[in-house]
Amino acid sequence: MKATGLALGLLCGAALLAAQGVVIAPHAVFIDARTRSGAVLLYNPNTEPVEVAVSFFFGYPATDSAGRIVVDSIRRPDSTSVSAAAWLQAFPRRLTVPPLERQTIRLLATPPAGLADGEYWARLVISAKGGQLPVTGVADTARVKVGLTLEVRTIIGVYYRKGAVHTGVALSRLRTAVVGDSLAVWARVTQQGNAAYIGTAHAVLTDSTGRTLSEMKAPIGVYYTMEPRYALAIGALAPGRYRLRFDLSTGREDLAPELVLPSPPVRDSVEVRVP
Amino acid sequence: MRGLRYAFVLTATAFMPLAGQRPLTVTGIQSLTFGTLLPGMPSVVSRTDAVKSGRFDLGGPHDTQGQVTFTLPSVLTGPAGATLPLSFGGSDAGYSQSQNIGSQVGFDPNQPFLITFSGQGRGSIFLGGTARPAPIQRAGSYTGTITLNLTAFP
Repeated sequence: MKATGLALGLLCGAALLAAQGVVIAPHAVFIDARTRSGAVLLYNPNTEPVEVAVSFFFGYPATDSAGRIVVDSIRRPDSTSVSAAAWLQAFPRRLTVPPLERQTIRLLATPPAGLADGEYWARLVISAKGGQLPVTGVADTARVKVGLTLEVRTIIGVYYRKGAVHTGVALSRLRTAVVGDSLAVWARVTQQGNAAYIGTAHAVLTDSTGRTLSEMKAPIGVYYTMEPRYALAIGALAPGRYRLRFDLSTGREDLAPELVLPSPPVRDSVEVRVP
Repeated sequence: MRGLRYAFVLTATAFMPLAGQRPLTVTGIQSLTFGTLLPGMPSVVSRTDAVKSGRFDLGGPHDTQGQVTFTLPSVLTGPAGATLPLSFGGSDAGYSQSQNIGSQVGFDPNQPFLITFSGQGRGSIFLGGTARPAPIQRAGSYTGTITLNLTAFP
């Protein structure tokens, strides 16, 4: 109840923003197979109504060849994929949120019969377009007038959990390279179990005495296999041997503990040589 | 009685996901402005131009990552199907964690850009671009839509 109050308070705090868009909570929806329903709360902090359209697609975070995290969108997921996009529905799919008002979008899951235990994923797209957008750029000449409108689309994860769900991660190919004033760190991480691994990546660079020279923490979601690249600021590091420790744990500040599937921490380390 | 119970369950369900979580915001603050366009004269807007650049404010839970992508028009549509070319270069977008236009990290608006909501959990995206009216550009009003997509991870 206290948490709900906090969330609502935060929603109201955002009312100070006076522009186009909606406030969305939560930023990830977890649906239990026993209730088969979820909800997303929208709040319009603006002085004009906002038109909202809602849709689903199947996609998940992955990495590109440079180790950047991107969203892989799968337009036509096959029957073996863990897509929930085809059997999730949103009510309503189109709505207008009046100024300074809240609206709830309800999500209902109708999974196929005999669905195996596990976690199924979809992405919920919430498109917001203001009725009276700040269309600027209208030139003061009769010859050529230009008006550009803004639209915002917020895409959040939806996770449907059925039966026994468990997760884990395998860590391999930890490697580093000094790039300018940074230490680039790569690792191959592979999801285990039948649910996404949602946790935190943590890297620490220490010298031969164990003193911490640089540290990095970043949220991570592992859905299949990915090779993310991280960067630690190291400045002008003296030539020598150092150690990079890398660990993954399921602690997250942005999600309620009961929503995060626990898994033992995974660790590895490598020597870093600075010539 | 059953109806009342159903209504209660629906209401309770509606607020359950909020527990322990904070909201996500994407707000269009200011549209990209090109000012007076003269036929044959390109108009360039820098992402550091406080008056003319486009601006989106983002907010999210601390420790959340998100991917920002743009859907950008290559032309604006005008009278009788006439078009006006619009282009966005490799450094026409910028992200400021402090929401300060003078403190941006530039990026290519045609490529995905990863942000992390740290500190106060806010940030701003700024956008510049170039409009290239032809020497014989048809007079009239030209319109287009700039869409910012924010994909929140976990």
